[in-house]
Amino acid sequence: MEGLKPQAQCIEGFVMSGGMWAEKYRPQTLDDIVNQTEIVSRLKNFVKERNLPHLLLVGPAGVGKTTSILALAQDLYGPSYRNFILELNASDERGIDVVREKVKNFARTAAISSDVPFKILIMDEADSLTSAAQHALRRTMEIYTKTCRFCLIGNYSENIIEPIQSRCSVFRFSPLSEKDAKNWIKAIAKKEKVKLIEEGLDAIYEASTGDLRKATNLLQAAAATQSGEVDDIAIYGVLGRVSPGKVREMINLGLKGEFLEAREVLRTLLIDEGLAADDIIRMIYSEVLRLSISERLKVQLADSIGEVDFRLTQGARPEIQLSALIAKLALTEEEMR
Amino acid sequence: MTVDSSPWTDRFRPRTLKEIVGNSRAIEQLRMWMRSWEKGIPKQRAAFLYGPPGVGKTSSVMALANDLGFDVLEVNASDYRTKSRLEELIGRAALQTRTITGRRRMILFDELEGVSGTEDRGGITAIVDIIKETRVPIVLVATAIGEGWEEKFGPLVDLSLLIEYRPVPFVEAVRRLREMADELRISVDDDAIEYIADRSQGDLRSMINDLEAVARGLKRVTIAEAEKLGERDRKEYTPDALMKIFSAKTLREARGVISSALIDHDTLFDWIYENIPFVLDDPRDLAEGVEALARADVHQTRGQRTQEYRLLKYMFNEMTGGVALARRESEGAGLLKLIRKRIKELGSRQADIAIAESPDGLEVKPIRHLDSDWGKANAFLRELGGRWVREKGLWSLPYFRPPQLIWRYRRTWHSRHRRSSIAERVARNCHISTKEAVADVIPLMKVIFQGNASMANEISEWLELGEKEAEWLRS
Repeated sequence: MEGLKPQAQCIEGFVMSGGMWAEKYRPQTLDDIVNQTEIVSRLKNFVKERNLPHLLLVGPAGVGKTTSILALAQDLYGPSYRNFILELNASDERGIDVVREKVKNFARTAAISSDVPFKILIMDEADSLTSAAQHALRRTMEIYTKTCRFCLIGNYSENIIEPIQSRCSVFRFSPLSEKDAKNWIKAIAKKEKVKLIEEGLDAIYEASTGDLRKATNLLQAAAATQSGEVDDIAIYGVLGRVSPGKVREMINLGLKGEFLEAREVLRTLLIDEGLAADDIIRMIYSEVLRLSISERLKVQLADSIGEVDFRLTQGARPEIQLSALIAKLALTEEEMR
Repeated sequence: MTVDSSPWTDRFRPRTLKEIVGNSRAIEQLRMWMRSWEKGIPKQRAAFLYGPPGVGKTSSVMALANDLGFDVLEVNASDYRTKSRLEELIGRAALQTRTITGRRRMILFDELEGVSGTEDRGGITAIVDIIKETRVPIVLVATAIGEGWEEKFGPLVDLSLLIEYRPVPFVEAVRRLREMADELRISVDDDAIEYIADRSQGDLRSMINDLEAVARGLKRVTIAEAEKLGERDRKEYTPDALMKIFSAKTLREARGVISSALIDHDTLFDWIYENIPFVLDDPRDLAEGVEALARADVHQTRGQRTQEYRLLKYMFNEMTGGVALARRESEGAGLLKLIRKRIKELGSRQADIAIAESPDGLEVKPIRHLDSDWGKANAFLRELGGRWVREKGLWSLPYFRPPQLIWRYRRTWHSRHRRSSIAERVARNCHISTKEAVADVIPLMKVIFQGNASMANEISEWLELGEKEAEWLRS
């Protein structure tokens, strides 16, 4: 794959020896991005014209949304592009007031020492903002539109309010094809001299389902623990040690009726590992669908998971609600009713 | 030795800054900020002090106020319930820089952690309003336990100078303990001092309480005396209340416990939740019982969100009656079964132990002493709240154990702190949220750090991790 260059070769005077491979091999300029060709060519036009509208980038995780906007910024502003962008992540910000304050401070000063008269504010996970917060954000976008372009990123455009959508150029990123995703992983394995065999590649793809960041991190972790070939067993070995593996362990204990032990695992996940309840719910859901239990029971459990998920959005306590779910795992179809 | 009956935590409460142990950086930050009020109102009108319990947060405010000549108006947990209560209490105090006697004034909001979730949103908003207008220094103090507290206090944090207090280092705790023992003219053996200091985990208040519990009335404290501390935590009135709930046959009977119990309903809830699997040992009963608790939790959430506190009665029904009536097939032998099973897993035969019932719980007696498996079995029994009764040569296990949550949060304070500082770096460098960093990246980094030192070093360098953080990823 041609587009794949380590960052060290891309940025002059900035040699990166290590770090996380997902960052090391993140494409640095629009030219380096090999997928999403149509989107990339439209973005390149913005660079050529030295102007761009507000942007809304939507699509699944790990297909290049953040990469594209960072690459665009680098093409637009050159090596010192970091001075002209501000990255915010909606899920890390404390309320829209704080965001507004940050935007104000960032947008207030014009983008001097550049022929581009505006800066770019990147708001990741914008679709997680409440609609009230989005309305406030829309007003902010209008106030600073002269000196600042907003690039909102999210998974689903449905969760972005209409007034924002209509003010942005919307770019829909498609999921990567299996072939593209696998080529990417293989290319990194080659660069890093990892002996990745076909079974290992399949396992990585299956676990990451087209999310290149996840796939790359998984490859790196497997390579770190393996001196020889990286095969499917190595990959599953890593997966068993990370959160989804522990969720599976918890579910299996629950199925066997070992509630106390399962609750201990739950506490490890929530407290020691600090996982958010909605992440645990997501993992439980995907595990339950894969269980070898009766289909009717699967439907019943999925319904219970939905109930817990809703209760959590209403502010219920995660440990109590998830415990109730674990206790239900020990029941049979008839008992669930 | 003078006769002094006041609790030792009072006796040894620092009156001036010099007497405070540890946290010198935090205290200096606080001092500078207090001094800055001499030149008019500073940009940040409030200071937000947070950290684990018993490390001197409130004490340092009091001592500093004393040193700098401030009168402190103190607000406590019970005052946060409603906005009107707060306004009544503070009145115009925040606008008047001096008291009637001409002393300078400051306001201390203590025990902020007592503001619970949405219920007291009014309280938080009221404090925010007070801070925005205040003409006197406001200090906010919160003992940070539990996840999500940053979020809860977000509006306050944004307005304040943040000051973090850390657990008092072991060496300093030992030194302070030695000083106190000398002042009390009690001879405490070195290993006993270290035992008490270690047990406190940097919480000086609990350390002084421990010292008092062990040493009052003694001339000499040995390690054997100090180790008795292990027993003290478990004296509770709650088991009676739990026993009543778990054995109730009617809703009325179960509900009666809410008013007769000596603890508030939130604490009672936590006790029931902790112990329900020990009592409901039949899977169907258990599923129904835990669901009743989950429903109780939902009712409570609704009550808090709508501020309609009458909804709490539905919570009470579920957490008492719902749990009691879920018990149909269960024998209430969950604890017994668990011990049998675990002992067996550890390789001991049933014949190796004898388990008998006592009024408060179970007595577990090893028949064959000094078997190597007993190391693990002992640890397990201790974790269940067991106590080794030396005279009888057996473990005494209460039927009910206290809620593990707070204890667990306290125990993992350092670890969680480290994790969030790593998460912030990962988030920044990998262009993701801290939430994603915690869920997706850090677990894989741990695999890398545990399996490959050179790759780990590269990542450490790249993220500019400190040695402690790298160590956390390795462990």
